[in-house]
Amino acid sequence: MTTAAFLSLLQGAGVTLVLSGAGIALGVPLGLLLGLIRWGRVPVLSPIVMVYVSLLRSTPAVTLCLLIFFAIPTMGIDIGPWTASVLTLGLNTAAFNCEIWRSGLNNFSPDQLEAARSFGMTPALRFRRIIFPQLWRACLPGLVNEMTLLIKSSPAIAVVGVVEITRAATRIGAQTYDPLPPMLVATGIYIVLIVVFVGLQRLTERLYGQAGAAA
Amino acid sequence: MVEHVGSTNPECVLDIRGLTKSFGTNVVLDGVSLTVERGKTVCLLGPSGSGKSTLLRCVNFLEKPDQGSIYLSGRRIGMREGGVIPMSTSELAQARARIGMVFQHFNLWPHLTVLQNLIEAPIHVQRRSRDEVVAEAEMLLERVGLTDKKDVFPNRLSGGQKQRVGIARALAMKPELLLFDEPTSALDPELVGEVVAVMKTLAEGGSTMLVVTHEMGFARETANEVVLMDGGRVVEKGQPSEFFTNPKTDRARQFLQRYVSA
Ligand SMILES: Nc1ncnc2c1ncn2[C@@H]1O[C@H](COP(=O)(O)OP(=O)(O)OP(=O)(O)O)[C@@H](O)[C@H]1O
Ligand SMILES: [Mg+2]
Repeated sequence: MTTAAFLSLLQGAGVTLVLSGAGIALGVPLGLLLGLIRWGRVPVLSPIVMVYVSLLRSTPAVTLCLLIFFAIPTMGIDIGPWTASVLTLGLNTAAFNCEIWRSGLNNFSPDQLEAARSFGMTPALRFRRIIFPQLWRACLPGLVNEMTLLIKSSPAIAVVGVVEITRAATRIGAQTYDPLPPMLVATGIYIVLIVVFVGLQRLTERLYGQAGAAA
Repeated sequence: MVEHVGSTNPECVLDIRGLTKSFGTNVVLDGVSLTVERGKTVCLLGPSGSGKSTLLRCVNFLEKPDQGSIYLSGRRIGMREGGVIPMSTSELAQARARIGMVFQHFNLWPHLTVLQNLIEAPIHVQRRSRDEVVAEAEMLLERVGLTDKKDVFPNRLSGGQKQRVGIARALAMKPELLLFDEPTSALDPELVGEVVAVMKTLAEGGSTMLVVTHEMGFARETANEVVLMDGGRVVEKGQPSEFFTNPKTDRARQFLQRYVSA
């Protein structure tokens, strides 16, 4: 494998990382919002979120990506492959994150929230000071697991022409008639990415370990 | 039920009038009226299911009463003056901050240390200065004998210690009224004493307290008044000396037979 081929694989890795990162940045907070709507049984919105979650969970990423790429322009909104990719990854992971946040919220003991209410905390304050600091620690392993699944599902966005790791590897393989080396390198890159993610999770858990154990 | 309007006795910290509350068809409070005067301790007794917890939860509007009114130092709780328009979320929050509550299961915030549990609401709800609040919290911890636990997380404490933190946390708000809902019921018998001792000091120190309890010893020795509830109604009130030795109603006699051994 040539240096140029290797560099284009690294470039693909950059694309995977940036688009996955953007998808996570969109999907984690959006998932929290959806999870809160479900948890709080917000009238009207809660059933809509439920339908959204089950639809997105049952749509393959490739299909979703094509759908977004071709459907949104028909509504008169210009959308490039990168935006379509971020939306695909973000909307998909939001559905799974919604369930992770929601189960974290459901496990939350109502006792301490009752105490917070009786001490005059408004809903916003309760969320900021009591719920969230405990919730993110409880949800972190599930969220990181979902992030690794997102990275592994990211090759789907190649369908709209984005050259991420896997797409870069197949291209090189097609040019050199030797697909094995680029695929092995691609696999190695995925492994490194995921090891880094899980490592960051472990580090966070260790840094906040004491309070986390108390929750 | 006619709702009394007008000023309340200025010595009344808590004035509950004609409170009713149902869950579905289950009438849990059936016209409860009750007052607690400044510096007095009232013990609320009654069999399980008689509505004691619901009454306390109605006082700070954790539960919304169906009818009746509640005044805290002459100011209506839950409703704006006039009693027609409900308080907004933030008005209600500020009203609740004037009432301290101590829970059967402590309900401490597990991600915060003992000291942080105490200063959380005074800083973020009452917006008092951090330095002042911390200094006071340290004094309160000394009063409940937990100075050495101030940087510990609640899961490292015994039940009795947790409840003393719960009491100190309520006191840190400088509440006009303290509500206790069976503060010793979840404790191992050998830990009840330390909590009761703290509550006695508070009562003798002039705190205004409404205490739901099955600790008849505490009620007999410390309460200024005992109120017996049954079936969502107040069935007897009186001085503890009267109530325990010479109950007037059959319900009170039955209750005492069941709950006071020997
Ligand atoms: N949120 C609720 N929804 C429905 N019913 C409720 C609710 N809270 C209380 N109840 C009912 O109201 C009645 C009185 O309950 P409450 O907890 O006030 O009694 P209590 O006197 O505190 O009893 P205990 O000594 O067991 O604590 C019970 O029948 C209970 O089932
Ligand atoms: Mg109760």
